[in-house]
Amino acid sequence: MGPRDRKLQFAFVGPALALLVLFNVFPLLFNIALSFTNAELVGSEREFVGGANYSRVFTDPRFADAIRRTASFVFLAVGIELCLGFSLALALRREFRGKAALLTTLLVPMMLSPAVIGLFWNLILNGNYGVLNQMLESVGLPTPQWLTSRDWKFTSIVLIDVWMWTPFMMLISLAGLSSIPGSLYEAAQIDRAGTWTIFRRITLPLCAPLLGLAVLLRATDALKQFDLIMATTGPNDTSTETLSTLLYQVVFRDGRLAIGSAYACLVLVLVIAVATAFTRYLEAMNRRPA
Amino acid sequence: MKFLRWSVLIVYTLLATLPLLWMAVTSIKGREDTISQHARFIPTADASTDAQRHTFVPTTASFAALAEVHSGARHNFWSYLTNSVVIGALSTVASVLLGTLCAYGFSRFPVPGAKDWLFFVLSTRFMPPLAVVMPVLMMYRQLGLTGTQTGLVLLYTVFNLSLSIWLMKGFIDEIPRAYEEAAQIDGYSRWDAFIKIIVPKARTGMAVTAVFCLISAWNEYGFAMTLNSSGAITVPAYFAGLQGNIDGMPWPQVAAGGLLFVAPIVAFTILVRRHLLRGMTFGTIKQ
Repeated sequence: MGPRDRKLQFAFVGPALALLVLFNVFPLLFNIALSFTNAELVGSEREFVGGANYSRVFTDPRFADAIRRTASFVFLAVGIELCLGFSLALALRREFRGKAALLTTLLVPMMLSPAVIGLFWNLILNGNYGVLNQMLESVGLPTPQWLTSRDWKFTSIVLIDVWMWTPFMMLISLAGLSSIPGSLYEAAQIDRAGTWTIFRRITLPLCAPLLGLAVLLRATDALKQFDLIMATTGPNDTSTETLSTLLYQVVFRDGRLAIGSAYACLVLVLVIAVATAFTRYLEAMNRRPA
Repeated sequence: MKFLRWSVLIVYTLLATLPLLWMAVTSIKGREDTISQHARFIPTADASTDAQRHTFVPTTASFAALAEVHSGARHNFWSYLTNSVVIGALSTVASVLLGTLCAYGFSRFPVPGAKDWLFFVLSTRFMPPLAVVMPVLMMYRQLGLTGTQTGLVLLYTVFNLSLSIWLMKGFIDEIPRAYEEAAQIDGYSRWDAFIKIIVPKARTGMAVTAVFCLISAWNEYGFAMTLNSSGAITVPAYFAGLQGNIDGMPWPQVAAGGLLFVAPIVAFTILVRRHLLRGMTFGTIKQ
């Protein structure tokens, strides 16, 4: 490679990387700096206050609550999506007429805007005139106040997320299933292995690497959950407050920029941990002989 | 087993399609028909007055009403949709162009620290918008970019770069180097070889990448809402902002607007259906 090519490579990768650094590394450093001050959203005066914001955040029960709620949201939503998506993939494994069309139809929800669809879910889940409760009533099931009862709000948001993202798990599960060589199943049949044994010894272990990737991708997304909550219960609802909505509340409703920055820095530590796990996983998967 | 399989599929398909179907039905109703305690889903020509009826008289009034300014909003739906179209289109073009260049660089040159850079690029996608938005907001205030289309175009371009770089790298890696090497022997410069050989071969990849960038810009809400108090409000920010007043909601208009907003996404999903797996996993799973 000559010196011209060396210069040219920076012309290719430079502009995009420069923009990414400007919009990600700079905010990160700025956030760290802000978190040691007492800056507010309005006004430009600020003083250095040391670790005061951090000690406030760590002793704030709201922050602990938001972390716990975000964790259970990730755990529940991603868990249900994985089980349901994988089961659907098993049901869709064999070829039948119209399979391609059905698949595309089922995949649509994950492409939609959670903010727009979330608002419309308010009509479907409405306790008085919502169509879902009318359907449940007609088959004799209980009809909860999905988005207004304290006990149900969180569950409802998990369920809407499940509706949106189960297709994603299904898609990846299908890819995993189709990568299993048929000869393995033939061999198992010759050995007279039972259905359950085949599932546990062949299907599940061979799908596992892709499912792991799917879980990590979904978890990083669910960790940020914001749009759906804003469009269904709003930011000022303590029973559905996650890290993102808490951040919004602190910065944009209360105007406490510095405290918000301290929150943001802690959230970023969490995100970096998950992102590192993801990239390690990806590297390990690529090293594995296909 | 077969019975179980089909019943699971049928029940799930019904639940999965219900929201969009209900949106379509709601968009051609009058407001009274949307908040009835007996779901009205059978369009008829004759008006009935039975309180328990399941029929309604279809109307396109909701679509006409999209031109009106809803109370609490400053503009009508069409102006928000225009913002979404302009911001989505411009940022998509910019992301795909910059992403293709960058991906080519990573694919063909031994860029120092390439692996670390690529993982840095991917990790930017994991950042919650709310955690980076404050410094961006302060920077935008200094530059006068808050509430402008330019501000959001710039932000979405950067936000989608991770997706664009990773997807395009996958596509460009699949194009054999022999093509450019042959071209360079014929006297093409590296740049000419890129423009005349690689770009035409990567056209499908660029189109697929564009669709995914467009969809993610189109649907984005966190930045759109926090960086804008008035100016370039996009449809997701407008709709989610209506949340506080559920009982007074003009549901037929919301459904009509929602339908117009999601229709292009459904069309694009059908268009890229073979590449969905790749697009949704940043090209880490290819098929």
